[in-house]
Amino acid sequence: MAEYDEARATLSVKVVYYGPALSGKTTNLMRLHDILAPELKGELMTLDTRNDRTLFFDLLPVGFRAPSGLLLKFRLFTVPGQVAHDSTRKSVLSRADAVVFVADSQRNQSVNNGESFENLAHNATVVGLDFEQLPLVVQFNKRDLPDVLPEEEILARWGRAPWPVTFASALAGQGVVETFAALLARLYSSLDARHELAARHGLAREAFVSAACGGTVSCC
Amino acid sequence: MLLSTEEAFDRRPELRALLEGLPRGQLARALAALCGEDYCLEDDSGTPLVCGTAWRGGDGGNRAPLEHELEIVGWLCLGPRSPVAAQALVPMLALLLLAAARYRMTAALHVAAIQEDYRVLLEKHGQLAQSEERLRKLSAELESRVQEQVAIIERAQRQLYQTEKMASVGQLAAGMAHEINNPIGFIRSNLVTAGGYVQRFAQLADAARRGDGAAVAAHWQRGDMDFVLEDFAQLLQESIDGADRVARIVADLKTFSSVDTTEDALVDLNQNLRSVVHMAQAQFGHVRIELDLQPLPRLSCHPGRLNQVFLSLVQNAAQAVADGGVVRVDSASSGDAVRVRVHDDGVGMAPEVLARAFDPFFTTRAVGQGTGLGLTVSRDIVMAHGGRIDIDSAPGRGTTVTVTLPLARGRGA
Repeated sequence: MAEYDEARATLSVKVVYYGPALSGKTTNLMRLHDILAPELKGELMTLDTRNDRTLFFDLLPVGFRAPSGLLLKFRLFTVPGQVAHDSTRKSVLSRADAVVFVADSQRNQSVNNGESFENLAHNATVVGLDFEQLPLVVQFNKRDLPDVLPEEEILARWGRAPWPVTFASALAGQGVVETFAALLARLYSSLDARHELAARHGLAREAFVSAACGGTVSCC
Repeated sequence: MLLSTEEAFDRRPELRALLEGLPRGQLARALAALCGEDYCLEDDSGTPLVCGTAWRGGDGGNRAPLEHELEIVGWLCLGPRSPVAAQALVPMLALLLLAAARYRMTAALHVAAIQEDYRVLLEKHGQLAQSEERLRKLSAELESRVQEQVAIIERAQRQLYQTEKMASVGQLAAGMAHEINNPIGFIRSNLVTAGGYVQRFAQLADAARRGDGAAVAAHWQRGDMDFVLEDFAQLLQESIDGADRVARIVADLKTFSSVDTTEDALVDLNQNLRSVVHMAQAQFGHVRIELDLQPLPRLSCHPGRLNQVFLSLVQNAAQAVADGGVVRVDSASSGDAVRVRVHDDGVGMAPEVLARAFDPFFTTRAVGQGTGLGLTVSRDIVMAHGGRIDIDSAPGRGTTVTVTLPLARGRGA
């Protein structure tokens, strides 16, 4: 649930990058930190271990001011993907406003992707999120690796799902901004419905997306 | 919600909360070393949080915002005597705040995860306790159900024993009735004849009392008294023998009257075997039953029950042989055990019949002719004496049943 602080004129939005272990959630945040050029960009706080496993979370804050002066702050979190850290995953997922599900495109990861997605749906319900209404984008990462599922196969399988599917090679920085932009476009609807972004803060969908991404990407 | 808002790891970072994660005295000393005691850290609403000892409100000094996560969370205010500008210290303080935030968030998330783990554990524990309780109930129920079944089986077994005993006693009674009826029949007939003889003696006595020698001689002649005298003695002797036979049968029966006594006795089994054979012989007139008994040490046993076993075996043997067949009962001692064998030269048993010989209710006889319990009960009785019972049989070759009873071992069940 986005936190609106009227006195400070701040709307703080929580975005969670979810997915199986080693699917590239932290890499998404690192590349966003490199590429995004919004008005405001904070430091990337990472808490990974020696072998690149996220133990608790990563956090990247980005933001911009609406024409009304409202500060829109996006706090991008990652969860630890390893099965053992389910309790930590639940706590990080708690109060999320939107979720990017980062799947591993490699053929041999299909089962892990499926299990992790089911885990997301289950935990979302456990922490009190309405999974049906939750803005969600599914990103198939690691497109640069050799033995990956072809895009047509993925689209055939996910095409009928209500969530947009994006493709990315996060290590190379490809598709991470597009994924974030796709999520912002969906997120806008729920934020606008609750906080009247267009009516009270003069913020239309396109402006919302491009301001958050730093004008490098247009949405929709 | 897993956590209340003030505990949530992702709550808005307030300067006061961030500073709590730093060693307060050290921060104050570091600031004093950099800019003297004339400084103050305020939160974003202007509330002073950490101030130097010479802080007087900062008139004529300068201030710079402290930013964290894109927001101004507080201000560094310096007095006019400070040697450095506030702005120069901001990057260092931002770094400190980032480290403090990192620590606070991680700690809070860790606590939340641990609490969640604990909650999940408690939940699982509850489920385990429930299933353990179900199992416990089930096992308690199982125990009582088994006891119920055992009671039913024990009751049925007692009924089986009773049925078998009644059946063998019934067969016995039929034979006994015949055997007792026979001597009684001829004893009565002899007595009627003797009554006639007494009348002739009465007539002779009349003539003798009168002193009529000729009449005596005539009566003697007419009454064929020479024959009467001879026959009378014979007749009495026959009757005495008959009475003895009845007495012996009654004595044998008395042996069997001990079937229901529960005490053990020290007995010579040969005596029991003799009684049993007498009774069986009475029942099966057409069969020759031979005894071949070697001296036996006395055996502590339940004689009544063993009689039941031996009678059952001899009855089986007698039923297996045709008219004129032979049943042989022998006994011997091997030092630590007594062995009794019942052999017949009858029809014998096929392997498939032999395999089921001890099964309850298994019988080869017509309905109403056998209970199918004789060998079952016999085996139970012998096993209760710590002994064993073996059958050797083949079709046409006859059957030998061997009962071995240990001398030393006390009785089992």
